[in-house]
Amino acid sequence: MSHRILIVDDEPNIVVPLQFLMEQKGYHVRIAENGEEAIEAIFRFQPDLILLDIMLPGINGFEVCQTVREHRNLGDIKIVLVTALGREVDMAKGMALGADAYITKPFSNSEIVERVRELLKEGE
Amino acid sequence: MRAGNQFWWFALISIAVTLAIISSISIFFWRQLTPDAQSLLIDIIKDDFGYVFAVVFLIIAGLGFALDGIFHTYILPVIKLKEEVSIINSANPAHRIQIEGNRDVLGLAAGINESANRYQTLHREVEQRIADANAEIDADKNILAAFVAELPEGVIICNVDGQILLYNRQAKTLLTGDHGNGAGEAASESGKFIGLGRSIFGLIDRNLILHVLDEMVGKLKRKDADACAYFALVEEPSRSLRVEAVPVLNPRGQLHGFILILFDITRRLESSTRTSSMFQSLVQRSRASLASIRSAIEAILEYPEMQTDQLQRFRNIIHKEAVDLGCFLDKKANEFPDHLRTHWPLVRTGAKGFLETIRQKAESRLGVRLDMIHCDPDTAVKIDTYSLQLALLFLLAQLQRITGQSAFNCELRKKERLVHLYFIWEGRPLREAMLHQLEEQVLSVGDERIPMQLKTVIGHHEAELWSHSRRHDTDQAYIRLVLPSVVDTIQTIRGHHITLLPESRPEFYDFDLFHQPGQIPELEDCLLTELTYTVFDTETTGLNPTGGDEIISLGAVRIVNGQLLGDDVFDQLVNPQRSLSRDSIRIHGIQEDMLIDQPTIETVLPLFHRFAEGTILVAHNAAFDMRMLQVKEGPTGVRFINPVLDTMLLSAIVHPAQESHNVEDIALRMGISIIGRHTALGDAMATGEIFLKLLPLLAKQGIQTLKDAILAAEKTYLARKKY
Repeated sequence: MSHRILIVDDEPNIVVPLQFLMEQKGYHVRIAENGEEAIEAIFRFQPDLILLDIMLPGINGFEVCQTVREHRNLGDIKIVLVTALGREVDMAKGMALGADAYITKPFSNSEIVERVRELLKEGE
Repeated sequence: MRAGNQFWWFALISIAVTLAIISSISIFFWRQLTPDAQSLLIDIIKDDFGYVFAVVFLIIAGLGFALDGIFHTYILPVIKLKEEVSIINSANPAHRIQIEGNRDVLGLAAGINESANRYQTLHREVEQRIADANAEIDADKNILAAFVAELPEGVIICNVDGQILLYNRQAKTLLTGDHGNGAGEAASESGKFIGLGRSIFGLIDRNLILHVLDEMVGKLKRKDADACAYFALVEEPSRSLRVEAVPVLNPRGQLHGFILILFDITRRLESSTRTSSMFQSLVQRSRASLASIRSAIEAILEYPEMQTDQLQRFRNIIHKEAVDLGCFLDKKANEFPDHLRTHWPLVRTGAKGFLETIRQKAESRLGVRLDMIHCDPDTAVKIDTYSLQLALLFLLAQLQRITGQSAFNCELRKKERLVHLYFIWEGRPLREAMLHQLEEQVLSVGDERIPMQLKTVIGHHEAELWSHSRRHDTDQAYIRLVLPSVVDTIQTIRGHHITLLPESRPEFYDFDLFHQPGQIPELEDCLLTELTYTVFDTETTGLNPTGGDEIISLGAVRIVNGQLLGDDVFDQLVNPQRSLSRDSIRIHGIQEDMLIDQPTIETVLPLFHRFAEGTILVAHNAAFDMRMLQVKEGPTGVRFINPVLDTMLLSAIVHPAQESHNVEDIALRMGISIIGRHTALGDAMATGEIFLKLLPLLAKQGIQTLKDAILAAEKTYLARKKY
């Protein structure tokens, strides 16, 4: 069974290529445009991995990350923060709040695919 | 005892003694005689009484004259001598002895006069030297004070107890928000007072200062190279200060006081905050756009057989993101120079005046004629006048050399955010390579030279330089310098005080306070000369405090270390919330409409309470003013527990024989001229001066301490007056 991926970003111009890329790699993809939508989608869609932007309107990515980690039954979801915040402190904060990986924009497609595969333990 | 009296006593005693001696001899002689001889003698006397009487009278008269001569020649001059020497020694050193008497006494007097002359000359010389030295020291101190006053940083010097010994205008502005010269109303806004002898704790949190002192002491003990302490201070409403605390050590190396240097970093902080946020937004926006572009293009590259509509979507994404990012960068690039313009110190200058100077100098020093054919009015530029002036003269000199011409037209045009300066001539424009060569050269015109290349100066001004032909007239060439115009419409230049060296000692500092212990609660035993006073006066709607009369003006001035501090004053009109009688207006001249916008006593009195904290209150007829304050204790919630002295009572102690002790008459007696009588501050100032003149007179009567003064005042008859 193929893994489910939730992409959370308010910027459609990055969502489109990411969705295309992930679908090409054979994942089930859902999109959320803000924090509230993301949390709802997480419970309904039960993704295996979330590509999560930090600066979202309303509830931000850090909070989403925290919410996911607070629910034991969601514990297995992998979270990859994909963000334009490039400072080390942001990365440290993200990791501390329970993210599994932190990718700074701009990234290469192969890098993000590799990270996703790694986290979903889909060895080559 | 008067000299006449002395003489008669002397004569009386002399005659009595003489008579006693003559009588004794006569009695003794009488007893020696036989009864026959006695009766013979009686007969002779009886017969020739006239002769005998005449002889006795002549003897006594002769004796009297002799005594008078002796008295006036030998005794009286000596007594006078004694008194006159005493006058010379105690009262009037210029007095000289002028007496009559014998030669010895006259010789002695001449000797004493000679000594007095020498002493006086010596004394005058010493006094002159002391005065000269003091004047020199005062002049130095005044220059120092004027210098400190004009420093762009705020400076406060305190002793270890936190008493302020020196402060400058800038410190006052930074900490109290007061921009004017008088403390009064503006200080009231922040409720903070700065003044000599006041505590720094009223301005900066006590714990913070103690922490800073600890830090400095620690550093001194560890013998750190830098024993200063640094801290930040955020002042209301939005002022950020960086404070440097520098220890002041006594000769034994112990902490004796400290200097606080205050830097206003509000603007710098604002600027760096803006820069930082701009940088953040630049980075984030670029990252986001590049992420979309990169991801899309990599997808296209990885999947070449992608469907056409999918491919088109990706192309659109790439195009849109690239365009958006470009616009964003343009926008930010325009914002950037406004607040991050070069750190070279540029000054806002009117372009027209600047060009006029260039024109004159070009003519006189290069022989180049510059004709101003156009200048947009009210154009201002931010420039370093000296280096830019030299750069332009250098450019003109080079143009003269290259083109062989010595007359140029000049135009100045403002175009949006830029100012264009043209030097125009008939002929070909300069080649770019030539211009480039000029830009590399070090600036020198005649014997004037600065070690900077033309391009450096242009760079400092964020300017650009090029040469071209005029579009409509190819025979006309120009060289054009483009400078950013001044965009801010608000004049940011700081209003500068003109510093006049003060004639008397300025009241920004008093280093004598270094040696004064902090004011202790046991004020009663303190010397009057060492205490800190708040001399105040009120103007009121009438003379009946308990019958509804209200304060309409409150003025006060502080006395520290025997100095009236004209810079440390409280001056506030008060809205009495009632009407004023015509009679009272005639006295104080305050009209009702002046009071409408003023704060009420509920606001003013707590402020005044803080102003007067820890000092002795002084007022003329203090019973009245204190009553005025006391009836307001209820509504305002402040109580004045300060000790109070009354100049009216003190004057009565010093001059009990005088009938009048009102301000005018005392001032007249003491030679004080009053400015602004019947304004609260003016009266407070006059009262303060009177008080200072009373202090030495009180000391002569043995009234030295606060307790002495209070007790003595209670005894005067005027103290019975009640309000």
